Amino acid sequence: MKKTWKIVVRHLVLAFLAFVWLIPIFWLIVTTFSVQKGINTNHFFPEQWTLANYHQLFFEPDAAANFPAWFKNSMIIGTFSCLVSSIFVIMTAYAFSFIDFKGRKQLMSFSLILGMFPGVLSMIAMYFILKMIGLTDSVVGLIILYSGASGLGYLILKGFFDTVPTSLHEAAKLEGASEATIFAKIVVPLSKPMIVYTVINSFLNPWMDFVMVRLMIKSKDASDWTMALGLFNLLQRALVNQYFAYFCCGGLMIAVPISILFIVMQKFYVEGVTGGAVKG
Amino acid sequence: MGNLLKKIGNSFKDFGHAVAYGDIWVKLSLVIMGAGYFGRKQFVRGILMTLLEGGILASIFGVFAPYMAKLNTLGTVQREEVFDIVTMKKTVNNYDNSLLILLYGIIGVLVILAFIALYISNIKAVYRIQKMKEEGEHINTFLDDVASFKNERFHITLLTLPSIGVILINIIPILFMVCIAFTNYDENHQPPTYLFTWVGIKNFVNLFTTSQTITFGYAFVRVLAWTLIWAVLATATTFLGGILLAQFINHEHTYFKGMWRTLFVITIGIPQFVTLLLISKMFGDYGIVNTWCANIGLLDFFKNIGLLGQGAQCIPFLSQPGWAHVTIILVNIWVGIPYQMLVATGILMNIPSDQIESAKIDGANKFQIFWKITMPYVMFITGPSLIQSVIGNINNFNVIYLLTYNYTTTNMAMANSNAKEVDLLITWLFRLTNEYSNFKMASVIGIVTFIICAALSLLTFSRMIGGDKEGVYR
Repeated sequence: MKKTWKIVVRHLVLAFLAFVWLIPIFWLIVTTFSVQKGINTNHFFPEQWTLANYHQLFFEPDAAANFPAWFKNSMIIGTFSCLVSSIFVIMTAYAFSFIDFKGRKQLMSFSLILGMFPGVLSMIAMYFILKMIGLTDSVVGLIILYSGASGLGYLILKGFFDTVPTSLHEAAKLEGASEATIFAKIVVPLSKPMIVYTVINSFLNPWMDFVMVRLMIKSKDASDWTMALGLFNLLQRALVNQYFAYFCCGGLMIAVPISILFIVMQKFYVEGVTGGAVKG
Repeated sequence: MGNLLKKIGNSFKDFGHAVAYGDIWVKLSLVIMGAGYFGRKQFVRGILMTLLEGGILASIFGVFAPYMAKLNTLGTVQREEVFDIVTMKKTVNNYDNSLLILLYGIIGVLVILAFIALYISNIKAVYRIQKMKEEGEHINTFLDDVASFKNERFHITLLTLPSIGVILINIIPILFMVCIAFTNYDENHQPPTYLFTWVGIKNFVNLFTTSQTITFGYAFVRVLAWTLIWAVLATATTFLGGILLAQFINHEHTYFKGMWRTLFVITIGIPQFVTLLLISKMFGDYGIVNTWCANIGLLDFFKNIGLLGQGAQCIPFLSQPGWAHVTIILVNIWVGIPYQMLVATGILMNIPSDQIESAKIDGANKFQIFWKITMPYVMFITGPSLIQSVIGNINNFNVIYLLTYNYTTTNMAMANSNAKEVDLLITWLFRLTNEYSNFKMASVIGIVTFIICAALSLLTFSRMIGGDKEGVYR
């Protein structure tokens, strides 16, 4: 009898914790249906429900809020950065893991030191540089920024590559395969979970980033913004009473592609997170 | 470091040797870099090398030299507009742009260094081919060379593009910003209208100075203290919380494990900039949390125990120092635990169960098992990454900036340095540039942040890649 009681308490505690964790998410969802456009400070649930906010989100862009354009910009930036950075990360990780070339350790130490500079610092300089060549306020500039230095993020994938048995590599070499063949035909197919993880991360990083866009995009035209910048702007004091429900709709919509990615790749993703962690 | 110097020294020695003992083609390569290859009938290589040499020299003299010449002053001619009465147009004088001078100057120096390295290695390569020829060895044809990039030199194929990216996006900007820390580049010295110039270590001195006019010393100590406290607390709370939660869900008597995990992981699915902005509104002075607190009497309770003044209208969750600090840490627990739980779940599943079994047989209770077996095991695996996550939290821009972008400081000394009580070094430096155009101090703060992070990393460095842990699994 005592045991059942314990189990009930255990689940009650878990339910309470999950409840606390989900309050903000829940508030986000119910607010999207609120007739009141500003923040409702007295009631958790909207007094009147409506779908008008979603209609506004998708079909009525205005000077301050242009979700379709933001979504498009973020999508383009995310997709192209993801493509370039995944390729860079995979190439770097392979070189550092499988090929024992001269200066390998030195290069790795050097890359570790480079990674320690606060990213914002080099971004400020990049702002000047991109401004000189006229690429601030542009999608291309942001893609370059997100993907250019991505080779530095090879450590987790390298950790995974290190677990691929050396014997496999050597056997292939004895059979006369070149490094390029081994790379394309053996290692990449073997490391699918980790590569999926890398790809998801390289997409989510630009998709969810706020800092760089805030630094790089100075345009006053709402159609030039990305989702992070646009939604942030809606919470300024002058706008928040008009657009809070809109903000919540937008916030929820951003989560859609992420959730789809998570659900489709769930198995791979969890393997990736934990695999990387075990490597430390 | 000494190792590196020795290597460079050896490189020059080999170069001297090659020049001294090389034949006419090698000596000719001193002027025309492709000559050595032409001499051995490797025409494609020779042409490529000569073209490369020409291109680099042209860019150095044509593009970079004029800027490099002004590096010592960063320009002397200020921009002036003159209204020409004859043509009725404004004309601008031939002015200097300090920013361009610094940037192209740095790139120019890098190009020259790269050229020197290429030059030396070229002579050595040409001399090596001469040797091989003399001994009748097979010399790679151009096609062999191309093929080697798919095999012996595959790492070059792989690393070239990523390296160029890192140099352009990372190294050059970092060098550039390090230089800015030694100039007076701020809102009053903005190119192209105004010039800026070198000021030595004055900015670093200012960072530690507190006086009537300069308050950076005052603000810096406070911001640094909060940064370090935050980084340690944020890491420790989410780490411990994540393990406990994972442990709790993993327990044999917990049903629907997958569902519980999913409920927590949902919070990761919505981007931080959305959830954090939302929470900042919830905890705002007139936000919904304050309404609840007033309704259930928490506001009055805090007044009664003296945590708030009697006139307080609301609980200043995110608008007063102290309160804001606590709220930030709590919100970060909310943000961080689901992720840590995922990581910890993976680790706990791998924990050797025989150890726990034998501990149970020996009569250890749950807390003993947790502290004596589970924790040491988890620490062994995640120890090094723990310091990495302290560093990550030192640079955790999102949580702080998005929660406190509305925070206004009432401390004049802080405000004079454009800092807030809740700022980390990283958000301070961000706002110094983004809102106040004080680039010189931002660079100084960035360098200090780097030094702190580098010092912390030294603790883990040897375990990360220097030691022999690498390849344990192979």
